[in-house]
Amino acid sequence: MLVDFELIERARSGDDSAFNQVVQAYRKRILGTIARLIGRPEDVEDVGQEVFLRLYFSLDQLRTAEVFEPWLYRLTVNAAYDYLRRQRRRHESRMSDLSEQQVMMADAAAGGKVNVEEIRRTKIRETVDDLLGKISEEDRILLTLKEVEGLSLKELEKIYKVNENALKVRLFRARQRVLKAYEAGEPDAGG
Amino acid sequence: MDRMKNRLDALWVEYREATPDPEAGPNFMPQLWQKIEVRRVETTSVFRRLAKIFVMATVTLALVMGAMLIPHGRITNDEVFYSGTYVDALAAEHSNDYVDVLAAADLR
Repeated sequence: MLVDFELIERARSGDDSAFNQVVQAYRKRILGTIARLIGRPEDVEDVGQEVFLRLYFSLDQLRTAEVFEPWLYRLTVNAAYDYLRRQRRRHESRMSDLSEQQVMMADAAAGGKVNVEEIRRTKIRETVDDLLGKISEEDRILLTLKEVEGLSLKELEKIYKVNENALKVRLFRARQRVLKAYEAGEPDAGG
Repeated sequence: MDRMKNRLDALWVEYREATPDPEAGPNFMPQLWQKIEVRRVETTSVFRRLAKIFVMATVTLALVMGAMLIPHGRITNDEVFYSGTYVDALAAEHSNDYVDVLAAADLR
């Protein structure tokens, strides 16, 4: 926990300054998770604000402060899921749209200011974003939380509100689908 | 298959390293509070609108029920309509009683 239970209790009872402190404590972590879930840096703050907005208006439904973190993660997952669904619809009508990250990289490359490490990182981001774009939003979010965010099965159980076996089945299937997409996209996938 | 799986696992790790947690911009908190205020006002106005609709519906229902329950313009000739007091009604009902008593006394 990044904050103590008492602060969450105060925020829950309508103390705006306590809520402010909670946001400031979790902001960076949540923005990082969102960045990896949605893959578009220019929209991360918008989705992050949506998460904390939902948190503000649903804090009174929180049973106890102990379940705050899974609750916040669930809100994050839901907001990312809504964003990805909207984005997929929009993407179908604007296929040539470049992300801000791609535009920045193109500008920097044109100006010769970009270093090798940054190019490598951008390539990795593009590879994974492209790969995750080939699977469903549900699989994308589940895999990102497990493989990239490193959440345990216990933590995922609390977020998804399903038992461990159901979660393992979901994860197995999602892994199979992403592996299939990865193999299809790799030129030397034969061996 | 296993080789691809291992490469994919390595790719997840590299992706995690390539996407560090971003710092929020200076406008993050002011914009968040602005959005909270907008949502608050929207919620209040929705409740206000619902309250108005509820009041209108109640008034309409009351008028309709009133129109149905108050019998106006439907009194036929067969129906008895009392305009006097209860005592007047009793007197009208038993107006012949005295005549009967007087008639019996005359026979004796």
